[in-house]
Amino acid sequence: MTDTNMDGPATPQRKNSLMAPDARTKQRNAAEARFKAYGIIAILIGVFFLVVLAASILRNGLPAFTQTVVELEFTLTEEQYNDAESKVLKTAAYKEFLVTAFRENLSERGVEVPFDESAIDRIVGQAGNTLRTYFRANEDQLGQPVTFSLGASSRVDGYFKGRVTREDLSNSRFLNAEDLDIVDVLADVGIMKQQFNWTFVTGKDAGVDNPGGAGIGASVIGSFFMMLVVLMLALPIGVAASIYLEEFAPKNRWTDLIEVNISNLAAVPSIVFGILGLAVFIQLAGLPQSAPLVGGLVLTLMTLPTIIISTRASLKAVPPSIRSAALGVGASKMQSVFHHVLPLAMPGILTGTIIGLAQALGETAPLLLIGMVGFVAREYPDGIVSGFTDANSAMPAQIYTWAARADQAFYEKAWGGIIVLLVFLLAMNVLAIILRRRFERRW
Amino acid sequence: MPLSWIVLTVLAIAAAGYVLGRGRALQSAGGDSRKLHSLPSYYGTNVAMKVIVPSLLILLVWLLVQPIVVSRAVVANVPENVVASGSSMGLFMSDVRRVADGLDAAVAQGSLTRKEAFDIRTEFTNVTQRINEAGVALGSAVTPETLRAAQEFRTLNRIGSIAMSVVVALAALGGIAFGLRESVAGFRARNVVEGGVRLLLIGAASIAILTTVGIVLSLIFNTIEFFRIYPAADFFLSLTWQPSFGGGSSLGIWPLLWGTLYISLIALAVAVPIGLFAAIYLSEYASKPVRAIAKPALEILAGIPTIVYGLFALLTVGPILMVVFGDDGVGWMRSATSVMTAGLVMGIMLIPFVSSLSDDIINSVPQAMRDGSYGLGATKSETIRQVILPAALPGIVGAILLAASRAIGETMIVVLGAGAAARLSLNPFEAMTTITAKIVSQLTGDSDFNSPEALVAFALGMTLFVITLGLNVFALYIVRKYREQYE
Amino acid sequence: MNDMRKIERDVDMNDVKISAKGVQVYYGTTHAIKDVDVLIQDKTVTAFIGPSGCGKSTFLRCLNRMNDTIDICRVTGDIRIDGDDIYDKRVDPVQLRAKVGMVFQKPNPFPKSIYDNVAYGPRIHGMAKNKADLDEIVERALRRGAIWDEVKDRLDAPGTGLSGGQQQRLCIARAVATEPEVLLMDEPCSALDPIATGQVEELIDELRNDYSVVIVTHSMQQAARVSQKTAFFHLGNLVEYGETGQIFTNPQDPRTESYISGKIG
Repeated sequence: MTDTNMDGPATPQRKNSLMAPDARTKQRNAAEARFKAYGIIAILIGVFFLVVLAASILRNGLPAFTQTVVELEFTLTEEQYNDAESKVLKTAAYKEFLVTAFRENLSERGVEVPFDESAIDRIVGQAGNTLRTYFRANEDQLGQPVTFSLGASSRVDGYFKGRVTREDLSNSRFLNAEDLDIVDVLADVGIMKQQFNWTFVTGKDAGVDNPGGAGIGASVIGSFFMMLVVLMLALPIGVAASIYLEEFAPKNRWTDLIEVNISNLAAVPSIVFGILGLAVFIQLAGLPQSAPLVGGLVLTLMTLPTIIISTRASLKAVPPSIRSAALGVGASKMQSVFHHVLPLAMPGILTGTIIGLAQALGETAPLLLIGMVGFVAREYPDGIVSGFTDANSAMPAQIYTWAARADQAFYEKAWGGIIVLLVFLLAMNVLAIILRRRFERRW
Repeated sequence: MPLSWIVLTVLAIAAAGYVLGRGRALQSAGGDSRKLHSLPSYYGTNVAMKVIVPSLLILLVWLLVQPIVVSRAVVANVPENVVASGSSMGLFMSDVRRVADGLDAAVAQGSLTRKEAFDIRTEFTNVTQRINEAGVALGSAVTPETLRAAQEFRTLNRIGSIAMSVVVALAALGGIAFGLRESVAGFRARNVVEGGVRLLLIGAASIAILTTVGIVLSLIFNTIEFFRIYPAADFFLSLTWQPSFGGGSSLGIWPLLWGTLYISLIALAVAVPIGLFAAIYLSEYASKPVRAIAKPALEILAGIPTIVYGLFALLTVGPILMVVFGDDGVGWMRSATSVMTAGLVMGIMLIPFVSSLSDDIINSVPQAMRDGSYGLGATKSETIRQVILPAALPGIVGAILLAASRAIGETMIVVLGAGAAARLSLNPFEAMTTITAKIVSQLTGDSDFNSPEALVAFALGMTLFVITLGLNVFALYIVRKYREQYE
Repeated sequence: MNDMRKIERDVDMNDVKISAKGVQVYYGTTHAIKDVDVLIQDKTVTAFIGPSGCGKSTFLRCLNRMNDTIDICRVTGDIRIDGDDIYDKRVDPVQLRAKVGMVFQKPNPFPKSIYDNVAYGPRIHGMAKNKADLDEIVERALRRGAIWDEVKDRLDAPGTGLSGGQQQRLCIARAVATEPEVLLMDEPCSALDPIATGQVEELIDELRNDYSVVIVTHSMQQAARVSQKTAFFHLGNLVEYGETGQIFTNPQDPRTESYISGKIG
């Protein structure tokens, strides 16, 4: 230690008083404030996007839950019925009755609006067919007044919800400005009004040309059966795999390989799992296309890594003293795990599983590849088995199908579908949080 | 016998085995369970296990092997000249299967008796019509050869399934006999059962490996199939992507790869600065209450399904961009779907991904580093920029690579937001398309599954898998190395 | 406490570098430092001793406001350096810490090169006009840290690659590079082996020529070896403060006596 002697006594330069910050310090503090501001701005941008996203979902999606209907009292005599049924153009005959009923209903209320038959077509769409179907099914209702709620055409619906304006209609052959005058009058006298759209919540996909009749109900069922498959497979397999890896696995190459594999699988793009499902489950194993069973299998494989990772964390959180205590009274390793460690880790495992399920519920891309696209959701399954094997869609795939259609009226349905999907996700996450709060132990 | 009945029978035998095994063990100990090596239930479980495991394994293997054996046998008996030129044995066999299905359906509906189904001849009956009536649509009329092969196919399958039922039942009975013989007091039933459970656990853990193997094999086989009918050089070197379903498609990957990378680049340009600054603010500046609100708020963004982002891109962000950059604004953008639309929204999706990973990594930089820097009179930002970030750099790079792999593999946002046109362009306001979007469109289209237009999806999938796997392995390696450094 | 009068007799007021009066520190609801008064002299090594958790490190960290980085920590009372109240609103802790350097318990070199470790302080405080200037500052600091000869050929090697003792001397060099007037050392030898401890202690003795050094130590022998003044803390109170020799040979307070004779600790 001789080298300090070389420079002799140090001469610390006396600085200004601490009370007066020097120019450099001011500059550095300004840089500090700027840096902090960047951080705040970053957070605000993130929150801003979240707010914009939430706002556009609610603004665009809530109208899907209401529907514009024409409420009309209507009496069909048996004579008229037989007459209409004998004609060649049956629905056209019904439409004539409808026009008459319109005129009567309006004049009862003391309003005179000039309109022709084609305007009725444009305003309430295929109403003639609806009437015919109803009376053919309920012949006993003939001769009695029946109140119909006829769904307005999607453009009239759009006009009520602000999606369609008069300017938009300048050269539309589906609806014109004069029709809107009629619509306004109908709304004024209370024949046309908005009501909750049960069809949307409980209905099925009604095809490309019927946005008004489209509903998400069937695909909710499809999603439900898929989640059932995922739950029944991913939970036991995930827990078994985690128990092995966490409690029994010797440290060797095979377990190393499994570990690396799991962390990599967790990051494989979801669409690759779709390819796997298509090639293995449908082409090789010959399982039916578009079936929730296959969708569930694909999503199981996709969710497994997530569930394994969270389950292992929960198992790890159980202190070793519990294991030693069980082994100390002569339990076998297997008994100590199944009797003590697993029950204690269960809340954490369930929480992780629910979060994994929520992730699977929102997954779209792999479902498209195995054929669970929206337009196959035409029927409700008629039993448990057909729920698993009949062609169906799932919520996110249904939303995709609507979003990809040309008719803009479907966009509203897609946004509405997102609200339904997010309500399910929210419920699952809340459940996970409650589980965690109530049962999770801190050691 | 239907499959479910076989399984139920096996389960019933297993249940009986459980009861009998438990009883026999107790009996051998003179009714005193304390004299047994293991608890009585372990003896029962042992027997049940010996019933279920071998018989269900045989069942599974049989189900996998039988179709292969049967088709081989049928193919071997088909005369060479049946397969028309321009067709293949595979196509012939799929016809055979359809006809066989049709005969099954007809028998099930009672329109054909079982005997008729075996004897029926195209020469005497309009088989095609009968099958169509049974609800199975046939593409072309049934030829005598097809019908004969289908009948043979049905016969062999029938023999096979009867044999299977018998073998499985024998295995189950053998299992129960063997298990019961073991069930005596000195037998270490618990150890055997636990050994079995252990194998079950290992099997569950190996599913991860099987999944990977499944992915790799299904990609490789179909990719090879694709390269057999479409030159690999064209796929990797051609600069045009123009599938035409009539054939003569040009399927070069470069426009798709470019679209994928361009969109990912924009997404990272949005997500990395915002995510990183958010992470820095949350871990170094934010007070507890701010952190308690802002962190979960950002993480909500990660929990939202990608289809929601896709719709957001298509219907909210795209139109807003159109107002500014479209023909009414600057005039750079022609449609609402574009690289910018998809990239921007994907960037939003990736913010929480970058921020929470970076947050973890910044937090794992030891406090001693911060103290050392503050002790020298550094400000917070100087400490962060010059000490913490360099120390956390490997980890952050790993996080960014993981985010990049996410971006490259993301599907729904680009399917809805990026457009469908494959082009090589530098203008970020033009519509482009990506590997993932084309996988979806090629496999959900109407093209024949064996055409290059459909098979190309597997080659694209392979490319995607290799790229993301490489990024993931590299990123996880970096992150792991980094964690070790501070542990 | 009547020994406070004694301190005022012993200390020449002109030499006082740091004066603390009525200092209280709270961690959340815990009262960690209770009403501590102390005067620390220039060009002297002052040792803070006491059992674990007695508050000596906490008090040390008040002297350069390192406690500001802990959210729940609250400091009241009056601490002055050269007569300036360091908790005054106008004082920038950044400037203060440049003047009052600190060395920590565990050697904590940054994951940078040896050169960059030492140059870090001078760079952020803008002390060098050019590269040559910086080189000179770094060399001077490393010499003063008694580590120059060992590292002069590998200034670009990472600081984390050095041995524990070398790392700690590097950290001391890093601290003196900003030319502080006071050097705070928080158990600087607790993570070092005896040989490295010896080297660091020797260095501390030399640093006394230029700085006022305050050292927190767990080891009474170390306090006796390196310090001229010693303060004994117990349960957040400053029990006794005086000449080191006197504290160890003739303690006034029974608690001090119990501690140095090994009854509490």
